[in-house]
Amino acid sequence: MISRVADHCFWFGRYVERAEATARLLAATQSLALDAELEPQACWRPVVVVSGEEEQFVEKHGAEWGDGERVQDFMAWDADSSVSILRSIRGARWNARAIREVVSLEAWETINELHLYLGHDDAKTEFRDHKEAFYKRVRSSTQLALGLLRSTMLHDDALDFIWLGVLLERTSQTARILDVHHHAFTAPKRHEVVETALWLSLLRSLSGFEPFMKQNQGKVTSDAVARFLIGEERFPRSIAYCVGSSHDRLRRIRPPEERSLPGGLTLERLRVLDDFVTSRRRGPESGETVHELLTHVVDETSSICDSLGKELLGYG
Amino acid sequence: MKIFEQYAQLAGTYDELFAPDGTPRAAFTKVAEQFAKLSAADFARAQALAELTLLHQGVTFSVYSDSRGTEKIFPFCLIPRIIAAADWARLERGIVQRMTALQLFLDDVYGEQKIMRDERVPAELVTGAAGYRPMLRGVKPAGGVRIHIAGIDLIRDPEGTWRVLEDNLRTPSGVSYVIENRVISKRIFPRALDAARVHRVDHYPTRLAEMLRSVSPVAAEDTTAVVLTPGPYNSAYFEHTFLARMMGLELVQAPDLFVERDQVFVKTTRGPRRVHVIYRRTDETFLDPEVFRADSVLGVPGLMRAYAAGNVAIANAPGNGVADDKAIYPFVPDMIRYYLSEEPALEQVPTYVCLRDDDRKYVVEHLDQLVVKAVDEAGGYGMLMGPQATAAERDEFRAKIEATPRRYIAQPRVELSAAPTWIPDRGGAAPRRVDLRPYVLTSREGPWVLPGGLTRVALVEGSYVVNSSQGGGSKDTWVQKP
Repeated sequence: MISRVADHCFWFGRYVERAEATARLLAATQSLALDAELEPQACWRPVVVVSGEEEQFVEKHGAEWGDGERVQDFMAWDADSSVSILRSIRGARWNARAIREVVSLEAWETINELHLYLGHDDAKTEFRDHKEAFYKRVRSSTQLALGLLRSTMLHDDALDFIWLGVLLERTSQTARILDVHHHAFTAPKRHEVVETALWLSLLRSLSGFEPFMKQNQGKVTSDAVARFLIGEERFPRSIAYCVGSSHDRLRRIRPPEERSLPGGLTLERLRVLDDFVTSRRRGPESGETVHELLTHVVDETSSICDSLGKELLGYG
Repeated sequence: MKIFEQYAQLAGTYDELFAPDGTPRAAFTKVAEQFAKLSAADFARAQALAELTLLHQGVTFSVYSDSRGTEKIFPFCLIPRIIAAADWARLERGIVQRMTALQLFLDDVYGEQKIMRDERVPAELVTGAAGYRPMLRGVKPAGGVRIHIAGIDLIRDPEGTWRVLEDNLRTPSGVSYVIENRVISKRIFPRALDAARVHRVDHYPTRLAEMLRSVSPVAAEDTTAVVLTPGPYNSAYFEHTFLARMMGLELVQAPDLFVERDQVFVKTTRGPRRVHVIYRRTDETFLDPEVFRADSVLGVPGLMRAYAAGNVAIANAPGNGVADDKAIYPFVPDMIRYYLSEEPALEQVPTYVCLRDDDRKYVVEHLDQLVVKAVDEAGGYGMLMGPQATAAERDEFRAKIEATPRRYIAQPRVELSAAPTWIPDRGGAAPRRVDLRPYVLTSREGPWVLPGGLTRVALVEGSYVVNSSQGGGSKDTWVQKP
């Protein structure tokens, strides 16, 4: 396929996934803030830190984390924030519009309707009065779009590139969110009940609550949660699943045996990351902290995206 | 209230649906009955639903004057414009004849230039046309076709006679609306559509793809054809994506293509792939910076070399602008006589060519009765509607005409026909002026006219300007089967 088109596919996937991730994170954190008797800052600051937007936020609002309204407003509507729902959906829609002949009509309509909704006063009103419903709507539409892509598009390179975007975005989302929470929750020793509430909230924000419970029969510890989110290959938001599936997608786009095709370096790099994650399915190796492991995943994912851009997406 | 209850025809115009006595024209009795039954409330509901569908689907055009990239739906009216079978048969014959002559004219202009030597068309008008490309003389396009896709603008005078107003032989747009409008008619008025016995229009993309493959320099089954768009900010971008999707072709932008050894390739994730046919929706001056605009970074360097070598077909061929120049238009009937030895089957609008001394003299003295058009502008721009203009506007045009007479032509204002059109503020239908743009595909086997077309309607009361950029909308066009 045309490199420019592949680029739009990739970013379409990343932005849709990003919008969904932000909406899910905000909804879960809101619920946590209501239950856990925590200082608002302890709930809301990590949300901004996870997204890599702390500097942006502090520049605009000072270190005033407020009661959650300010953070939510920033993460939902700030057009300068690279993770805000508004900007992600705009990005998704812009990319999809550039490849209207590639994205199926149903998937396009879903994203276009969501984009029109966000531009309408109704969305602002809903956000003000019923945040839960607002987040639900963003999540339903983005999930619908991802489902429609699979059920209405030709399963060829275009879908592989979209999905590669979704999976690499999801890899770094899961790694960052786990990293920040692991750090924040385990550093000062808290009461066990509070800590459990925090971990459950984290699992909910990754749609992983029920799958985790099934695997661990209700026993919640920081190590068990980290192990689950890093290594559970059957859970579609775990790092092992996302990296493994990205690797599969890229092998379809650029089969390892076809050595004359571009993309060899990226494929090799992704293979090495896949092996790395697989070898840590049961947690970090001795002497390695969870933080080090996750940092490696985040950095490698970012390098893989750069390399992909150069080799396959036509970035000069 | 029913939608036609307070309908009053526009004096001095031909009404597309109703006879002068107020009853529906004979061919349309059954279908008019269906629409006459509709109440204003039903109709308003249907119209609102249809508009929302278009917005959600992103069937929009970009507004150039708005730098934020605002997109709007092309306003349209659900009451169709119907054309009787006998009328269509005449139109179709006239259009095929006209397209044949225009194609021969272009072959001649970029070949021997016999028609100029025989003084049937003034040589200075041809060589002075903005769209004439002297560097293309002697170049034979792959597949032999030059006007692959044409849109012929027609109007109907108060007697009901069809007249050609303009030929669009470069990159005519609007056909996606013809197809989309029909999808909506089918959904909302299935019974009326059935009663009217209407030709389908949805096979246009298939015919377009077949035509593109027919002019390929290689076998049709080995052909890669692409649609070339300037990108999402172009006002017709929706149509580019629409046609690419409907044909299953890739939509490319100029930076996706490159030329090597006089062959065109597209950059893909699996390396370069050869391209044989380009359906270009870009202006030809942005095709190849080596030839047209050295200062431009847009375009595909070397594309015209590949074209001249016969290694790629470009639809439409560059250089066609000389044939749809407004100053050449008055000579089309003569071209038909010259090349085909036939009398023209379609009328056109009498035209004064300001380059001719007698014509110019008449024009500047009768500006209050004439419509003046700049030959190198389109979209309703660069026009003087003499009868409605102020004295100052007329003076301004008089000075322009005297300064550069080659740039101007003038025509008597023709009373366009009117069609019943839904006017929300009135809660009913009122007559609004319309034109018609049928689309013609020319393959190696010759021209084919899509039985339908874009009916554009001047939604503003009293207006004659049907262009979407200036308050125009569209209607579905129902061509009846014999």
